[in-house]
Amino acid sequence: MSDDADRKRILRARAAILAQEPEESGAGEEQIEIVEFLLSDEHYAFESTYVGEVYPLKDLTPLPCTPPFVLGVINMRGKILSVIDLRRFFDLPVKGLSDLNKVIVLHDDAMEFGILADAILAARCIPRAGLLTSLPTLTEIRAEYLLGVTQERLVVLDGDKILSDRSIVVHEEA
Amino acid sequence: MVDKDAAFLEHLLATFRVEADEHLRKIFSGLVELEKAAPEQRTEIVETVFRESHSLKGAARSVNLDDVEALCQAMEGVFCAMKSHEIDGSVELFDLMHRAADHLGRILPAAGKALAPEDKAVAASLVSRLEDLTLADDGEPGVSESEAARAGTIVDHSAISPPAAETTPDHLAVNSTATTAPETPASDYRPPIPAMTETVRVSTQKLSSLLLQSEEMLFAKLSATQRIGQMRETRGSFHAWEKEWARVIPVLHQLRSANNKTVPGNRGNGNGTSNELVKLFEFLDWNLDFVKTLESRHVAAMTAAKQDSRTLDGMVNNLLADMKKVLMFPFSSLLEIFPKTVRELARDSGKEADLVISGEEIEIDRRVLEEIKDPLVHLIRNCIDHGIETPGERQAKNKPQRGTIRVAVTPVDSRVEVIVSDDGAGIPLDRVRAALLKLGSLPREKVDELSDQELLPFVFQSGISTSPIITELSGRGLGLAIVREKVEKLGGTVSLETAPGSGTSFRIILPLTVATFHGVLVRLGERIFIIPTMHVERTVRLGRGDIKTVENRETIPLNGEAVSLARLADILGVGRAADPEMIQAIVLTASGMSVAFLVDEVLNEQEVLLKGLGRQLSRVRNVAGVTVIGSGKVVPILNVPDLLKSAVKHSGAAALPAATAETEPAMDRKRSVMVVEDSITTRILLHNIFGAAGYDVVTAVDGLDAFTKLKSAEFDIVVSDVEMPRMNGFDLTSRIRADKRLAEMPVVLVTARESREDRERGIDVGASAYIVKSSFDQSNLLEVVRRLI
Repeated sequence: MSDDADRKRILRARAAILAQEPEESGAGEEQIEIVEFLLSDEHYAFESTYVGEVYPLKDLTPLPCTPPFVLGVINMRGKILSVIDLRRFFDLPVKGLSDLNKVIVLHDDAMEFGILADAILAARCIPRAGLLTSLPTLTEIRAEYLLGVTQERLVVLDGDKILSDRSIVVHEEA
Repeated sequence: MVDKDAAFLEHLLATFRVEADEHLRKIFSGLVELEKAAPEQRTEIVETVFRESHSLKGAARSVNLDDVEALCQAMEGVFCAMKSHEIDGSVELFDLMHRAADHLGRILPAAGKALAPEDKAVAASLVSRLEDLTLADDGEPGVSESEAARAGTIVDHSAISPPAAETTPDHLAVNSTATTAPETPASDYRPPIPAMTETVRVSTQKLSSLLLQSEEMLFAKLSATQRIGQMRETRGSFHAWEKEWARVIPVLHQLRSANNKTVPGNRGNGNGTSNELVKLFEFLDWNLDFVKTLESRHVAAMTAAKQDSRTLDGMVNNLLADMKKVLMFPFSSLLEIFPKTVRELARDSGKEADLVISGEEIEIDRRVLEEIKDPLVHLIRNCIDHGIETPGERQAKNKPQRGTIRVAVTPVDSRVEVIVSDDGAGIPLDRVRAALLKLGSLPREKVDELSDQELLPFVFQSGISTSPIITELSGRGLGLAIVREKVEKLGGTVSLETAPGSGTSFRIILPLTVATFHGVLVRLGERIFIIPTMHVERTVRLGRGDIKTVENRETIPLNGEAVSLARLADILGVGRAADPEMIQAIVLTASGMSVAFLVDEVLNEQEVLLKGLGRQLSRVRNVAGVTVIGSGKVVPILNVPDLLKSAVKHSGAAALPAATAETEPAMDRKRSVMVVEDSITTRILLHNIFGAAGYDVVTAVDGLDAFTKLKSAEFDIVVSDVEMPRMNGFDLTSRIRADKRLAEMPVVLVTARESREDRERGIDVGASAYIVKSSFDQSNLLEVVRRLI
């Protein structure tokens, strides 16, 4: 049965390929896992450790007496989550009309809120060394909120810094 | 492996901290009791604290905490000596023991990490001082019980000085007390290991999550009720159908008999018209049966749904009630720290006071307990700082030298009453009067008119303090205001009574659980808000002319009195239109103040469950939280005390915006815009843009939704997105152009598609204007719309 032998040979060859350890792109280089998204035609990303999930924005209840960057609250499976427009938080010029149909849930141990995005583009790894930190002029976001900008002008935001920023917390007495 | 061990140790430490905290709390309360107790009552208490310190020592050893172990050992030694009456409780001894327990409290939360050198030093000095105490007393003749016991104790304490000695101290300690109670077997020193217990230890975090999920069931219950409402409406449509049917029956009869006459005895024969009519009659007969069957099936389904809803209702209510009971804690878990607090506060202010607690076994929702802690601590501080006099003053007044503070918890119907009272000096009402005058919120003659009884509630007002000096504890006049705010937030009330010279008593009424409450739904434009019913005094309808401006403040007449009027829309900063002829207002009260708020409509009242706004929105002005109503919609719940404060701040400026609204160039007729957009954020944005520009706005989520709405009402223009589910903007435009009534309606397409082909397609289907999203600009859009209508 040459067919059988052929099949075995092919399978063996495939197994050998699969058994090879994938070649690290730039061995020893530190990689960071990111979630890339689109906001007003700009590409941004957060490190995936800070991203809980991505939730489609179906209903939004605006809250009165909140700063303009707070768009309102949503009911996420029984839990109330506030959603934020990063453009307004960073005082970026709000140009054009965006869809803002997706909520990226940012969280750590002490804080949790949603960030609106027009679209989620990818979850991938990028080398940490590829982040340029000395070129903050590439974006209008203040350098303190940036992890860095890649060569392709992907703006990687500092999730930890944003989550622990006191100015994002709303606490107002009457 | 190392990681695993470390993780295991961390887990052990976490368990230890919880356990240690319990032991320590019992030691604290035991120490306070011990100090107060008569000598003959002491034996039992000593036994308890001795066991507690022994258990804590054992637990500390199992996680290698040498310093904690040594300190416990030394304390245990003292208790042991007290047990055998070798030493008596002097004030110094109790102070030292308290200090030791305090130090344990300080170093325990950090258990597992290396101790700071100064903490280590304090621990070591405490150990040696405690040991000195037992050793020195041992030397006194006539105090110790027997030679054997003394020897045992001495060996015991010298053996522990090197903390490395693992088993000997324990063993010897056993010996030393065994002599005083020879019948007790050595093994009894370990706390008795319970056989199969009836309880399970579950973390409150897990329970809270369960409770949250059970509370979500409330939503299921409410939606089931809402679904039945919808089914009832459908059933109503059957009645409408019946009416219509009844109207055509005579016509049908006529037609039928006419048809029979034209073809007498000729049925089934070639006459085409009558044959087709017969077919139609047959279909109508079948249709009648079909609709009737449908109706009876619908009614059956509705009856079943009602039954299910009732069952669900009962099940959810029971589940919630039981779940809440699971999270009930006795007051004692909160109150057991109080004796220590009172002792320390009294000592620091040079006063003497005993705390008498009753009803501590009464259980209440843990969340209520957590919230009420600070107010209670504050009231206790108040008692000591303002109430109880110094021992000298008390003696002069013929009162016992030690003051008494009572905390009495009693169940009242389905609520709990907590009374915090003292036998101190009472509240000096003349000073309240003076403070009120100084605050200047009431004119002097009004203040003078107030009776003593009327004056009391002002004690809760912020800024009122009777204390001539500001101490670390109190005097700023904020405390009682916060007490009231917290209690009212829980849905409770607080009041007080005072008798000059003989004391003050605060009475707090609390709900047993953080219950669902009733809320009134009000509408402002298209937005809905909920106001807790407990703050709603009444709702009123008035003519616009009833609004009177008094001293630059708008008021409305209510029961012959002028009540200030505020516009809810202005306070919340949501847009409002000019007042209609008939206005609707809702009168809200909190903290003894009433204000009428103008709303567009008062809808209905329903059961609501308060949900927090999440961590990022720690506190939002005027908003207490949100709730999910039956339709699944999230609705903000308003914070009434905040609203009243905001209304006062707002009152001066309130009249102005109304005036400008009227001077604005009014459109001869309000134009209406239909906004079609599937993205909710864009929909809200466009809605706000047109709303602010003075248009009536109706929104639709896609082309199909829009087309249905266009059919049922009149609009002046359609502004639509292109890419949408079900029916896109191009298709919507062609449908509009093909419709006889709508054909002339201007359509503006707003789209992300920028290509020439798309633009051309838009023009082909008949769009009046084409705006690209990336270059979108609000004034440009308004300009385009203005030009088209």
